[in-house]
Amino acid sequence: MDSTTARLDFAAIGHQDSWRNVTAFVNDIRGSVLENLSCEKIKEIYSFIPPRELFRVKVRSTTGVEIEGLYVETFIDPDKLSAHFVRTNLRKVVNAISRTSRLGSPITTLGGFTSIVLEGDLDPFSTSLAKFTTGNTLTAAFIIKGIEKAADLLHIDLSQSNILVIGATGDIGLACTHYLKHKAKKLLLCARNTGRLEQLANDLTSEQFPMEYSADPEDLLPRAQIIISTASSSGIQLKNCPKNALICDAGYPKNLDLQLTHNRNVHLFHGGMGQVSGGFELIPDYSRTIYQHPAPYVIHGCISEAMVLAFEKRFENYSIEKGKITMEKIEEIYTLSVKHGIHLAPFYNAKGLWPD
Amino acid sequence: MKIIRWYENTLSPNLNNTTMESVKTKTRTVEEFNVISDIFSQAITGELIGMSNFASLAETIDDPHEKMEAVEHANSERMHAEGFLAYAEKRKLRVNINMGGEYWGNIRRQFLSYARQQDFTACLIIQEVMLESFAISMYNDVGHALGGEAGDLFIRIRDEEKEHLDHSGDILRGEWIRNPLAFENKFEAIHFNCMNILAEFTATTDLRGHCGVCNGECMKSSLHHIGLDIVTLRGNALALYAEAMDNIGIPGEKSMVWIARLPA
Repeated sequence: MDSTTARLDFAAIGHQDSWRNVTAFVNDIRGSVLENLSCEKIKEIYSFIPPRELFRVKVRSTTGVEIEGLYVETFIDPDKLSAHFVRTNLRKVVNAISRTSRLGSPITTLGGFTSIVLEGDLDPFSTSLAKFTTGNTLTAAFIIKGIEKAADLLHIDLSQSNILVIGATGDIGLACTHYLKHKAKKLLLCARNTGRLEQLANDLTSEQFPMEYSADPEDLLPRAQIIISTASSSGIQLKNCPKNALICDAGYPKNLDLQLTHNRNVHLFHGGMGQVSGGFELIPDYSRTIYQHPAPYVIHGCISEAMVLAFEKRFENYSIEKGKITMEKIEEIYTLSVKHGIHLAPFYNAKGLWPD
Repeated sequence: MKIIRWYENTLSPNLNNTTMESVKTKTRTVEEFNVISDIFSQAITGELIGMSNFASLAETIDDPHEKMEAVEHANSERMHAEGFLAYAEKRKLRVNINMGGEYWGNIRRQFLSYARQQDFTACLIIQEVMLESFAISMYNDVGHALGGEAGDLFIRIRDEEKEHLDHSGDILRGEWIRNPLAFENKFEAIHFNCMNILAEFTATTDLRGHCGVCNGECMKSSLHHIGLDIVTLRGNALALYAEAMDNIGIPGEKSMVWIARLPA
C-alpha cells in the first residue's frame, strides 16, 4: 500500500503522552536486529521530526461497512504538553493539519492536546475543503455514559451525589457540566482559569442549579462522591479524595492512578474511551507499543468520532469551537457510534480491567 | 579564556540614520577560532565532495544537456568551496581538507558505487537530498550563530544549495510518481547505505572514530563556544531531510521507520 493509491476516509492527529510509550514505539520499529536506543538518545531526536503519518487503520462497522484511516503523529515532546509550550506545539499541529489535507483526508480529528487549534480559532480552516473535528463530543459522551454505567454498577445514585468536574471550563468539562447539571445533586466545579470559572458559576446559579466552585480541587474533594477529571492530571494531587469515590480519569495523559497510590479505596476508570466491536487493524501493527489497553479494540473517543463521521459519510466540521457541545449532539453522536458498533470501553485503569 | 587577535567587521544599519552604517568589531576567543576553523574545514571538504560527486556523475551521463547540468552543478559546489576558502584565508583560519576521512571518504565511496552503475537517480538522492539537506540545515544554523561576514556567507550558500534541493525534489517526485514502490525500495537502500554514515558522523559522539577533518579533538564538544550544539544541528538536519522525503512523496510511515533505524 502506498499513499498514491490508498483510500482515505479519515485521519487522526495526535501525540504521545509519555516517554515510556515513545521509547517502546521507537525500539519496536527499529526491529530486533538493531540495538535498543535509550530514552535519552530518543529524546535527542524525537521532537525534531516533522509531523508524519505512522500507520493506517482499517475499521469495520457492525453494519458491514469498512473504512480506512491514517494516524498522523505530531512528535510533540510529551514533557511539553503544558500551555507554556503552546506556540511550538501549535506550529506542529498546523503542520500536521496541512499534511492530512495534502494526503486527502476528508475529515480529520485532532486528538488530545492538538484539539486546542479547533477549540480556539477556526479561521485558518474555514475555507478548507477538508473538514475537522476535535472529537470532543463523542469523548464527552463516553465520559458521561461511563459515569452513568459505573454509578449503576456501584449502586451510586447520581441524583444523590455531588459530582466534581476538574477542568470544568474546558470544552469537554463544559459538556459534562451542562449534561450532568440535570442529573446530580450538586456540581462541584474546578478550573485553573478563575475568570471563566466564575462566569460558568454565575450562569449555573442564574439557572438555579446547586453548585460550588474553586480553582483548587482539594477544596471541593471532601464533598465529592463522583469525580471527573478532564484536565491534564500532572498537577492534580487528590489528597482529600473520599473513600469509595467513583473517579473518571478523562485527562491526557491519564495518570491519576499515580496520584492515588495512597488511597486504594476508590473506583477509578480511564474515561472517554470507546471499543470497536467490529474490530480494527493497524498497518503496520503498532498495537504492542502505542495502543496498549487491557481490552481489544479500545480507542480514544476523539478518534472514534472521526470513524463514526466517516462511516456516516458526514464530512463536516462536527466538534469545533469551545463550548458548543450540546446535549442533542452528545446523544446524536453516541447513537451513531452505537449504530456502528463503537460502544463504551470496558472499565479499566492502570492495574487492568475492573473485576466483574 | 584567552582572547586572540582576530577581529571581524560586521555591518549593521544605524536605525537613527538610514544613510550611514555603524561598524561593530567582534573579538574571538581561541576556542571560538578553533571551532570556526573546524566548521570551515568541514564545509570546504563537504563542498569539494559535492563538486567531485557531480564531476563523477557528469562522466556517467550520455544526455548532453544532463551532462552540462552536472558540470554546472560541480562548478557551483566548487564556487562554494572557493567562497569558504577565501574567507578562511582572509581570517587565517586553520583549514584542514580531507576528502578521504572516515565519514566523507565513505560517503564518496557510496556515491561512486552508484555513479559507476550510471544510476543518475541514486546519485541525485545522495548528493541533492541527503547531503544537501544536511548542508542547508547546518549552514543555516551556523550562519545565524556566527553572524557577520562569515554568517552571511553561510546563509548565501545555504540559499543556493536550497535551489539545488528544490530542483532535484521536482525531478525525484516525477520518478516516484512513475513507480512509487520501486522508487521507495531504491531510496530505502540508499538511505541505509548513506544516511547511516551521516547519522554516525553527526551523533553526539563519533561512532566510528575521528573524522580526519577537525584539527584537534572532535569539534562537536566545542560547538557551545559559538552558541551551537550537535543535538540541535543534527535534529534540524534530520527534520529537513524528512521534509525533503515528504516533498518527493515518500509516505511518512516509511520515512519514520527509516529515520528510527539510523544509528544514534
